[in-house]
Amino acid sequence: MTEYSKIGLKSGIEIHQQLDTHKLFCNCPSILRTEEPDFIVKRKLHAVAGESGEIDIAAEHEAKIDKIFNYQGYNNTTCLVELDEEPPHEINQEALKIVVQISLLLNAEILTISQIMRKTVIDGSNTSGFQRTVLIAKNGWIETEQGRVGIDSIALEEDAAKIVSKQENTATFRLDRLGIPLVEIATSPDIKSPKQAREVALHIGEILRACKVKRGIGTIRQDVNISISGSKRIEIKGVQDPRLIRKTIITEIQRQKQLVKNKQSRAEVRKAEQNGTTTFLRPLPGIARMYPETDLPLLKIPKKLIDEAKRNLPKLKSEKREKLRGIGLNEELIKLILKKDKLNDFEELSPIYKNKNLIAKLLVLWPQEIIKKTKPKNPLTLDIIETILQAINNNKITENNAKQVLREYLQGKSITESLKKQKTNISKLEQEIEQLIKNKPDLSIKAYMGLIMQKYKTQVSGKEVMDTLKKLVK
Amino acid sequence: MVTKPQPGSIVKIKTQKETLQGTLLESPDSKVILLKLSSGYNIGIKKKDIKQIKTIKKPEKQNEIKQINKLEKKQELKNIALIVVGGTISSKLDSTTGAVKWLTNPNELLKFYPEIKDISNITKIEMPFMIASENMSYKHWKKIAKITQKLLNNTGIAGVIITAGTDFLHYISAALSFFLKNLNKPVVLTYSQRSSDRASSDARLNLICSAKVAISNISEVMLVGHSSINDDFCYAMLGTKVRKMHTSRRDAFKPINTKPIAKIWADKNKPIKILANNYRKRDNNKKVKLNIKFNENIALIKYYPGQKPDFLNNKYDGIILEGSGLGHLATKEAKYNWLPKLKKAIKSGTIICVTSQTIFGRVDPIVYSPGRQLAKTGVIHLGDMLSETAYIKLGWTLAQTKDPKKVKEIMLKNISKEFNPKLGIEFIN
Repeated sequence: MTEYSKIGLKSGIEIHQQLDTHKLFCNCPSILRTEEPDFIVKRKLHAVAGESGEIDIAAEHEAKIDKIFNYQGYNNTTCLVELDEEPPHEINQEALKIVVQISLLLNAEILTISQIMRKTVIDGSNTSGFQRTVLIAKNGWIETEQGRVGIDSIALEEDAAKIVSKQENTATFRLDRLGIPLVEIATSPDIKSPKQAREVALHIGEILRACKVKRGIGTIRQDVNISISGSKRIEIKGVQDPRLIRKTIITEIQRQKQLVKNKQSRAEVRKAEQNGTTTFLRPLPGIARMYPETDLPLLKIPKKLIDEAKRNLPKLKSEKREKLRGIGLNEELIKLILKKDKLNDFEELSPIYKNKNLIAKLLVLWPQEIIKKTKPKNPLTLDIIETILQAINNNKITENNAKQVLREYLQGKSITESLKKQKTNISKLEQEIEQLIKNKPDLSIKAYMGLIMQKYKTQVSGKEVMDTLKKLVK
Repeated sequence: MVTKPQPGSIVKIKTQKETLQGTLLESPDSKVILLKLSSGYNIGIKKKDIKQIKTIKKPEKQNEIKQINKLEKKQELKNIALIVVGGTISSKLDSTTGAVKWLTNPNELLKFYPEIKDISNITKIEMPFMIASENMSYKHWKKIAKITQKLLNNTGIAGVIITAGTDFLHYISAALSFFLKNLNKPVVLTYSQRSSDRASSDARLNLICSAKVAISNISEVMLVGHSSINDDFCYAMLGTKVRKMHTSRRDAFKPINTKPIAKIWADKNKPIKILANNYRKRDNNKKVKLNIKFNENIALIKYYPGQKPDFLNNKYDGIILEGSGLGHLATKEAKYNWLPKLKKAIKSGTIICVTSQTIFGRVDPIVYSPGRQLAKTGVIHLGDMLSETAYIKLGWTLAQTKDPKKVKEIMLKNISKEFNPKLGIEFIN
């Protein structure tokens, strides 16, 4: 029995991550604004009685104070949907596809039919008084060193408006963030130790970053749920850095132990602080009231979309790293390829030449070394690297010359010139072509090309043959 | 075998892959079973994938909203009556089944919007029918008028509020403007564009302001609603000069070719601000009479360039043609010249009136020669009257007389402020 199972630690994580697409239910771009707003709309929200006639206590508390909410908008990035003046548009298909990919990477079952829901929120952060959310997948899992951790649910939802200022009777929100698609991932309460919590957060983070999500501060939010034997459930909101999760949980366990001892434990929502401690936010609310978004039809996720997501499933960084190690790349180059997001380029170049480290050097290492010294005058494309690699294949230059060719090219010479300078002897190819022209004069360039290529097949590059032909055919 | 448990039941559903438990909901798709999971999310399961469905618990008898048999009454407040006939404002979401339904008990409206009770006592609520405004016709307008008359002539009631669907609300307001004669008290029509389940519903402000107008001194048929997309104040607009000008905004209704009558804030203590002084004043001693007959053999048709005039062969008693800006229709130089057919129809007894499809402004047949040619056929140009108001007025007039001379006289007479002889620069937005 570990130290944590002894105290009955139960913990789960909830992660909210913004997706990198336009808004979820309208066509506005997901851009955060810093300029003065173009307009302000004034609204009031009121507690709404539930079916049985009772008003949610938290909601009633909010609405009793006759609060005025000001919403700041921008003419070019705010529309009637965010202003609660037009029904939602059809759900953003790109966002849907991204969440399906995330769900697949988390081994979850995609729900082929789901209903978009309204989750009651009346603190003013949603103009409508609710947040739209839809369950996309359930029953997923990830593997950790301490065993499997379940993923209870993966939902697609809209982000809330950002608070700008708050007074006693008014609050001002900015509509730029309202409606940005968020994926909400909730793990089961399977997490057994602070270390495992950190591992789970980092692992999910890696999966998210492999997909099309927003990057940077404020684009990901992590909440932690914790209880120990005898304590009530505590929800810790907004752990900024996954690396802080471990410390936050350890600190909270200590706090809980003390409360249990003094019989003072109560269910709370607490705010995560930068130093790993927490501060009280509010009592833990009951289950959010959810009811259907009646303005939209049932959400059906077609098999075609799921199949397509499966086919184009992004690779995780850890998987990519393993793969590159497998081909024999050194660690420095692997790191560079992943950092510069050049894996696809590398894979495209890979079949051309046997020495993979050389390919990687041409692609990511040498260009940055050369560019550091002098500003490049020519653009580095895959074609250029391919031409250099083919020149080595054809013994026009050697591996040792490759870096120099690249340097001269980047410094402004044409690639042919750069290669020529390195050439040690007149190529066999050139002689061959001269002979051919002599034997069969007056053919078109295309015809010569065909004949040469037929003979040499993949031993020479088409470009090389064409360049030589252009030089020799008058 | 798939049995059919009742919506609201807690069920266990077995499919090839898994067993799910949740609350069964009414599904909008006949091939799909809709299930609310314990997390609150609703998911769908294709019926053909279901191996077994078992009821764990039948739905509890829904807690009927406690009948407020005796509507509360505060001594210091005036009494008003409500007529509820449909629309978003009187629909609600049934969370057990997940469907949007009409309110079945009129008192529910007060449960959703209790603030109205701080302004006035609601002593009577009538719910003669519930129907979307696009499905209404004369029959319904007549019923509403009759109930309104009865309520207005009740000395214990200070005014009447009618809640209905927005899309054709201005037809109801126009109909009441002509059907109710000798008006004594305020008649207020109101609506909502955002449903009652939303904390952001526009119905609250609309109802509070409506109640303030219903107890005011303005004895007109009015439509009361948001003046802008802010939740700060409403306008009271004349029933004959108001039109739905936006599909979904809360300030969808705009006064056309006139000012709003009044500006109303939600604050109970902030008095109504009168903007147009020519309103009729409350006179509780007057008795409202009905002039409720209507000729339904009429049409409202929008003209477009290149249109064939063949519909003029139909035997209508009257037609409102929504013509060009100044009220023109196709003449000699057009592919289809309407003039001969118009003449023929008018000769055979059809009354033909022309309004403008620009909505704002006044038709004028004199300025250009096509207009003059058209005027010669005997069509009646209706000034700045709204097409929808003109349609109602024509049906109402043709039920009183078919004498073309008299019809023309009534159509051109300003009966319920449907004409504004003085158009100012402020009447467009």
